[in-house]
Amino acid sequence: MISPESARSPGHATCPDDASPSVGASLSFITAWRRQTARRLFGNPELVLAAWGGAWLLGFGACYLASSPRSALAVPGWLAYLVLGVSSATAGVVSAVETVRPGRGVVGPSRQVTTLYWWSWLLATGGLCLLMLGLGRAGLSPALLSLAWPGLAVLVSGVLYAVGGALWQDRLYYALGAWTVAVGAASTFAGAPGNLAVLALAGGGGLLVMAVVMVARRTNRWTEA
Amino acid sequence: MDGGVSTKAAPAVIPRLDPIIHAQPRLRVVVALATLGERDQIAFPRLQEVVGMTAGNLSTHLRKLEEAAYVKVEKTYRRRTPVTYISLTRAGRRALEDYTAALQTLLTEAPSLTREEDGS
Repeated sequence: MISPESARSPGHATCPDDASPSVGASLSFITAWRRQTARRLFGNPELVLAAWGGAWLLGFGACYLASSPRSALAVPGWLAYLVLGVSSATAGVVSAVETVRPGRGVVGPSRQVTTLYWWSWLLATGGLCLLMLGLGRAGLSPALLSLAWPGLAVLVSGVLYAVGGALWQDRLYYALGAWTVAVGAASTFAGAPGNLAVLALAGGGGLLVMAVVMVARRTNRWTEA
Repeated sequence: MDGGVSTKAAPAVIPRLDPIIHAQPRLRVVVALATLGERDQIAFPRLQEVVGMTAGNLSTHLRKLEEAAYVKVEKTYRRRTPVTYISLTRAGRRALEDYTAALQTLLTEAPSLTREEDGS
């Protein structure tokens, strides 16, 4: 063991190999390095939330503008679906990159939980698409389908956010799940195309707000640590 | 003050800092490993990438940490390719907690000491 006196050698958080940092610098270094390492090993969940928040806001928003007779902006239907498709695909790519890349080279229980959790998203998305196809084939009218699929997609996302919150014991994430489930279910009460406005603003907006809150929380947490 | 440690300002028990962790490269490695879950392991090349060290440097520091029983180095095969996995032991996790607590104690209970450090 070395005494605190010997810890008084000059240095800072980025001092080179084998130099001993000072007490204050060591603490600052641990805080900063923890934050940096966590981002490298776990990615940015805020970025994923922001990507999906943007996708819902833009995609559902464009679909609402295209189908609402009261819309001030005349958006063609094809353009609305293009916006929804491109923004969702972009969010999907961001999610994949932020999930797969940071965790490479890491093995163990937490990695297994993360992998299975993200597979659940793919399963849920595939299952939902099949369900909608089945309902369409069974004769569910296009009007009811347009009311059901976006609400169900958001509701299923909410359930998965809540499961994520339970797995990682994150109440904030769980609260996001509860909110998203409520938005998905409640959107159907607005009727079509009002449901799309509800999903864009309350659903997409909720994810964007949560992304900001999570960034603020992470910054505070590591600063306090 | 003549540059030494003031006996008036010093706390009754001055915590001692663990020299194994106090060296900055090893602190970098231990903090990175502590970010992972308790039973998680990381492959050597990935750890090298995260901490930004050469393979030789990282091996040297890992040896010292392994000698102190702070890390566990496991050589195994994955799809017939040799892989080295590193994980933080309970002792290593505890050592980091103790080290951080000691630093905080020094900062709060021996302000004169830290003022001198900052000025150095």
